Amino acid sequence: MRRLYPTLLLALAALPARAAIPAEQDSCLGCHGSDPTMTMDLPGAPGQDGKPQPEKLGLYVDQESFAKSVHGDMLKCTDCHTDKSDYPHDTKPFKTKRDVTVAFYEQCKKCHFSNYTKTLDGVHYQLAQKGNRQAALCVDCHGSHAIGHPGEPRTRVSSTCAGCHKNVAEAYGKSVHGKALTEGNSDVPVCTDCHRAHDVTDPRAGALSLRTADICGRCHTDEKLMKRYGLSTKVVDTYLSDFHGMAASLQKGKKGKGERLAAGCTDCHGVHNIMRPSDPTSTVLQANLVQTCRKCHPQATANFPKAWMSHYEPSMKKSPLVWSVQLFYYILIPFILLSLVIQIALHLWRVVVNR
Amino acid sequence: MSTHTAAAENQYIVRFTTKQRVEHFVTMIDFVGLVATGLPQKFYTARWAQGLIGFMGGIDNVRWLHRFFGIVLLISVVVHGAGAVSAILSRRVGFSMAVNKRDFSDVVQTLRYYLGLADHPAPFDRYDYKQKWEYWSLMIGNVIMILSGLTLMYPAVAARFAPGELIPAAKVAHSNEGLMAFLVISIWHIFNAHLHPDVFPFDACIFTGKISRERMEHEHPLELARLEGRPPPAAGHGH
Repeated sequence: MRRLYPTLLLALAALPARAAIPAEQDSCLGCHGSDPTMTMDLPGAPGQDGKPQPEKLGLYVDQESFAKSVHGDMLKCTDCHTDKSDYPHDTKPFKTKRDVTVAFYEQCKKCHFSNYTKTLDGVHYQLAQKGNRQAALCVDCHGSHAIGHPGEPRTRVSSTCAGCHKNVAEAYGKSVHGKALTEGNSDVPVCTDCHRAHDVTDPRAGALSLRTADICGRCHTDEKLMKRYGLSTKVVDTYLSDFHGMAASLQKGKKGKGERLAAGCTDCHGVHNIMRPSDPTSTVLQANLVQTCRKCHPQATANFPKAWMSHYEPSMKKSPLVWSVQLFYYILIPFILLSLVIQIALHLWRVVVNR
Repeated sequence: MSTHTAAAENQYIVRFTTKQRVEHFVTMIDFVGLVATGLPQKFYTARWAQGLIGFMGGIDNVRWLHRFFGIVLLISVVVHGAGAVSAILSRRVGFSMAVNKRDFSDVVQTLRYYLGLADHPAPFDRYDYKQKWEYWSLMIGNVIMILSGLTLMYPAVAARFAPGELIPAAKVAHSNEGLMAFLVISIWHIFNAHLHPDVFPFDACIFTGKISRERMEHEHPLELARLEGRPPPAAGHGH
């Protein structure tokens, strides 16, 4: 049987795409699958001049692309278009194409309940709740009839988000990660790797920034991955042992306001525009560092950036003063404690002997 | 005056002034405050530390509390230092905390006694070598903590006058010196003030300001002789 599978799969793949669509579709596709120019007029929402701007809603379904989609051999039209089982269809008073999308997107949750639930924690849903009709819904990212496997290829994720987040996408495209992605490198993070896909955190509140040690650390502590690029995996540990790392770690779990007093990775390296530290435009290039420190430490002078040990552990070469102080205490503390404990022990021994 | 009343009158001797007792009390409370708000920052990945920080209202609060206790320490050190200097200058008296040659021979003598090589420990004056060591360790430690603490509190100002590397060095010094102070106090001070067989369970002298004549005879015979106008006793007493 097991040997039969590949043969069966091959046989399936060889069949014409049309064959995968369940037969029930035929009655729908009789109208919606034949005429690519088939549209419906919607009155449209009032524009700036107060007059409605009519829109045309496309009613044609490309059978081939639907058949190739993840749902192609699984769903019938009426599974999603639940109100269209009869002909003539019930007409709903839609004014705009967006009205149609908003009305239908919740169909996804019937099957994809856990991901739908996740979106309820996401920033897009929060915006939609506040009345923002442009906030992304399932179909805005996944598409409707031509839904492919999410994240295949990875480059598609970033171009999907770019549909709305144009400025961010532009900055990302020029960054060390974005450039590599366009060159076909799939090691680099795409939008959803940091922001998540369904429960997208609102980055403006600062909570995301405090979590950057974990987020960036997922790749930047991966020995195998970093070796490919000659990068250090100590970046997170050295950050966490510094004041910034301590304060950020302790604050990331907390909700609510409160001063966000510690820099996360992105506060120094940039967010979407992260460059190689050797790039002349990098915010962490030695020459640009004072400027970066001043974002939080307005009184910083030329000496100040040296207070940060550039993700190096203290060593005689890199930071002799720090290294010497550390060594001094590594010797002094055990020496002092041992002397005191020995003296106490001798003292008590004498008391016992005298009795 | 009968011998009986004379003995009763002499039963207790005033050892510490009110100022000294207040200073000790403030230092004690302040030290607990500094340790409680400082150590959890050093060991912030530990569960107990995170619990303690949460209990004190989060890291924002803990940092402000730590700075408050730090400034109290700064003030108390300045007040104490100024008091000591002016006392020495105005009264033209010797500083009884000053370390002298005798302290070193006292160490040898006492260790020899502990090891059974001498019959009695060294007789001490107002402060024995252990007390002097603890006092000076605390004083030097305080100065290190205050200077490194101020550097960490105002890193940008510090970097204006000194190389930036001073700031991470100050952090290493502050964190290690603080840990050492905590360990020394927990081991040495708790032993000497609480678990020491002569004072167990609690040496109240620094709180009441008074010490029994018997203990003085035992622990500070040279001072007692000087107070009573007698020549120093020939030999000390065994502990």
